[in-house]
Amino acid sequence: MISRRFLPPDPRVEEPYRLTPRLALRVGLLGMVAIAVFATLFLRLWSLQILNGQQLLRAAQNNQRRDVRVEAPRGSIVDRNGLPLVTNVPGTAVQIWQTDLPKDRSARLRELRKLARVLLMSPIDIGRTLRRHRNDLLAPVTIKDSATELQVGYLKERRHDFPGVQVANEYLRYYPHRELAAHVLGYVGEISQQQLDALGKQGYHLGDTIGQSGIESVYDRYLRGTPGLDILRVDSLGSPLGQATPVVPPHPGSEVRLTIDVKLQAAAEQALRYGIERARNSNCYGCWNANGGSIVALDPRDGSVRALASYPTYRPSLYVGRVRQRALDAAGLTAKSAESMNYPALDRGIDAAYPPGSTWKPVTAIAAMQEHILQPFESLACTGSYTKAGHTFKNWDPFVNEAMTLTTAIAQSCDTYFYQVGYRFYGMPSRLGPRLQAWAHRFGFGQKTGIDLGPEQTGLLPTPDWRKQTYTKKTDPKQWQVDSLWKPGDSIQLAIGQKDLLVTPMQMARFYAMVANGGKLVTPHLLLDVEQPSANRTRGRTLPTPPPPAPEPTNVDAQALAVVREGLFEATHSSLGTSSAIFGGFPISISGKTGTAEKVIDPGDGYPRTFNQSWWCGYGPSDSPDLVVCALIENGGHGGDAAAPAALKVFEQFFGKQATQKGPIHSD
Amino acid sequence: MVDYASRAATRARRRETTDVASFVRRLDWILIGSVAALVAYGLWAIADITRHDVVTNPHYYFTHQVAYAAIGGVCLIAAVLIDPDVYRTRWREIFGGMCFLIAIVLLTGPIRGSKRWLDVGFFKFQPSEFGKVLFVLALAGFLAERSRRLHDPRTTLSVVGLALIPIFLVFLQPDFGSALVYCAAVGAVLLVAGTPWTHIGALAAGAVAIAVLVLGVMPAAGVPVLKKYQEKRLTGFLNPDSDPGGTTYNITQSKNAIGAGQLRGRGPENATQTTLNFLPEHHTDFVFASLAEERGFFGAAFLLMLYLLVVWRGLRIVTLAREPFSAIVAGGLVVALLFQVFVNVGMTMGIAPITGIPLPFVSVGGSSMIANLIAVGLLLSIHVRARTGRR
Repeated sequence: MISRRFLPPDPRVEEPYRLTPRLALRVGLLGMVAIAVFATLFLRLWSLQILNGQQLLRAAQNNQRRDVRVEAPRGSIVDRNGLPLVTNVPGTAVQIWQTDLPKDRSARLRELRKLARVLLMSPIDIGRTLRRHRNDLLAPVTIKDSATELQVGYLKERRHDFPGVQVANEYLRYYPHRELAAHVLGYVGEISQQQLDALGKQGYHLGDTIGQSGIESVYDRYLRGTPGLDILRVDSLGSPLGQATPVVPPHPGSEVRLTIDVKLQAAAEQALRYGIERARNSNCYGCWNANGGSIVALDPRDGSVRALASYPTYRPSLYVGRVRQRALDAAGLTAKSAESMNYPALDRGIDAAYPPGSTWKPVTAIAAMQEHILQPFESLACTGSYTKAGHTFKNWDPFVNEAMTLTTAIAQSCDTYFYQVGYRFYGMPSRLGPRLQAWAHRFGFGQKTGIDLGPEQTGLLPTPDWRKQTYTKKTDPKQWQVDSLWKPGDSIQLAIGQKDLLVTPMQMARFYAMVANGGKLVTPHLLLDVEQPSANRTRGRTLPTPPPPAPEPTNVDAQALAVVREGLFEATHSSLGTSSAIFGGFPISISGKTGTAEKVIDPGDGYPRTFNQSWWCGYGPSDSPDLVVCALIENGGHGGDAAAPAALKVFEQFFGKQATQKGPIHSD
Repeated sequence: MVDYASRAATRARRRETTDVASFVRRLDWILIGSVAALVAYGLWAIADITRHDVVTNPHYYFTHQVAYAAIGGVCLIAAVLIDPDVYRTRWREIFGGMCFLIAIVLLTGPIRGSKRWLDVGFFKFQPSEFGKVLFVLALAGFLAERSRRLHDPRTTLSVVGLALIPIFLVFLQPDFGSALVYCAAVGAVLLVAGTPWTHIGALAAGAVAIAVLVLGVMPAAGVPVLKKYQEKRLTGFLNPDSDPGGTTYNITQSKNAIGAGQLRGRGPENATQTTLNFLPEHHTDFVFASLAEERGFFGAAFLLMLYLLVVWRGLRIVTLAREPFSAIVAGGLVVALLFQVFVNVGMTMGIAPITGIPLPFVSVGGSSMIANLIAVGLLLSIHVRARTGRR
């Protein structure tokens, strides 16, 4: 055989090697194993590719698909004439896709540290932001707003050194009038977890910008618009491949038009500062502590708010973009610094309550006439003091001693006159309940005004029941037996708006609007209309909005109102009227009432004592009022000294006319 | 006159040509054909799969792989020409050399966290791949020498003892996958050599006990043998949803890739799992998933069929082998190949643990390609010198 020679027999193998049955069995076994292995692999392959192919294909497609929410420009807020109050400016944000950051911890930290250096922020800040969003892996986290062009250029150039970092366009709120109407407008900020829990069903997402206060918050649903959707193809490092494909275009937010008038608002804020300045420069006791206030200007016919000023104020732009805690601290917008800055975030027009003082007297007058315990032309003695039930109640002017009718008592703001009216209320049968409070309640006191702005205080309308509930053995262990009783002094002081009574300037303005419009209680409101901008083939249109609540009749006797209006007219025109010196020289006839309310305040030196809160509320023109103004200066002294001149400034702007001061101010 | 000299020369020349012709005829052409098809199919797949991997040179991996296949082909021919008997007598040198090579790798610096490569200039030499072939040769030589004392438990224990040295060295690299391949090869070698079933049974029981100890008992007792990631990889495929971002990320992406291929495949351009890099290691460990994504069930099944063909021819060679040594070598090599295919393909489909075992003839990698072609050369060499009876 040929092969013999090529392949000689192995001398070490004694017998020819044969396929033994044993080996055959074992090779057979191996063959079966091989067949089993391949059968398994084929079946698995079949199961994956044929049975589950569709589903896995979808998973693979979703892998590289990234849904990118495109922020919609937020609607602007304009005043009643269309002048902008808040608009947008474009900015550049630096965002991080958390899933695309390096998986390795040290590499991730290295990248974040590098990023922090580029953006001039602290790595701890970035870490904190990312931690807050650690459950939200499907949306980018904005770590810096308004990045500079240099930073953006750097990041774009070195995209490969910063996996997961992207640069996006965004819209930033812009306030052309700086702090003007800050309390009305409010500010926007990133949605918080609590807000998300409450509003998640309405289409809000983590990372959204949402109105945090003011109109921005109340009408967020109009302002925010609908975000669009882009689909972006990315590789496994998260680097985008090509341009994003827009799927749903963003729908810009609607423009909200307010009833506010920019010029009047500016005038009101200016007037407020003027009133405070005036108080500080006067030599009245405690006026050095005048440091806050509010002016409310309403249209008495429908309750639309023309101006709503509060002082001190703040710049909402502090909340634009990345909020710096230190800046908020300096502006008094944090819990720890608010007190030292006299609570600038507080909207004193609706969210702060004060004793109304003499501006309350028309309430007492109307209620008394309605209850037939006072005749308008009944003469009561106006004296320097009034003693009842062992207590002596003083008049603001100790030298007066004459008989007065109601109009004169209102004009000269006679306390003793109203003490007697208050005592008459006390003497009414208790089965009728507290009648003065009942009327006050009907005029909107002790409850929210319903303005489309928040938060709002109800104030406090004290009643015998309230006393009973507030002063119990538990809350007042020493003298609850006495304090829980409604005493004559309570009724007497309530008649001139003192003691426990607390009202907000907005409530007061609402009441004066009722007096001005002939007995209809209006609901103050700020929204005029909402205009949807034209975009993506839809034409701009005015969106239907819920109409403001119609003025409600209070069924006040027209005669009683006429008497009060006469009194308010005389208060600004008669020789001894409390604000005649201010308004007498104004070409348009203004009616209104001063108020000097005593409030116990700790001015910061640890000795709480009473300070005079300066009030003035009124309307003009007297015969057909177009505007109600209510001004309050904290610790401003007498109403005629600070609040009335401030209110006059608002009227001057409104009517476009200047006043000349007439004689010395003789005011409570 | 008869020119006896020239006649003898002619006869010798004729004999020589018939010898060569016979040699060529006695090659297993089905095996050669299926391996050639595997290599070619693998190269075609790699060309498409790695097109986007190296930006500057889309053919980078392809050209490298072609070069490796060429070198491997030369080695294959050399292996065919060498009589396996040469190895039988020199198993001690082979064993020592193998252990030496693997040990050298351990002493040099680590590459990518593990020490598997030996840098020899143009080429990263991976001894554990060549070790598979040498390992089988050495153990087969030892068993052939002791073929008359197979019933002695000491023989079996010696084999295990010998095998554990390279297994342990490879495990230290750490190349857990190769260590597993070595273990499979030990089993096959013992099986084909004719080790009694009692010994094999006892070894299998011991292996199970060790696995339980390493994976379950020792970590619980506070003595972890495996690194955390190794343990996770081994058990991760049993509950793939446990950690989709971490250990089982690869498996999820791999399954998505395979499934997305469906019946006909997505083609090289639409295979986003591969081209967009969602599937890591898609030119090495997860090459099967990429191939399945691009070529679909047809393409992947075709590849498996080729492997099945190779395994069938290999097992057939075991039965044809001239003497026990050749049979044992053939058995060890075939089972090692089968094991690698199963673990690699099974891993990509989520039915086998994650180990860094390349797919023979397809995964990019010179050592694996050359070593596997040498193994085929050995099989062919055995086949050429096989008993003639059953042909």
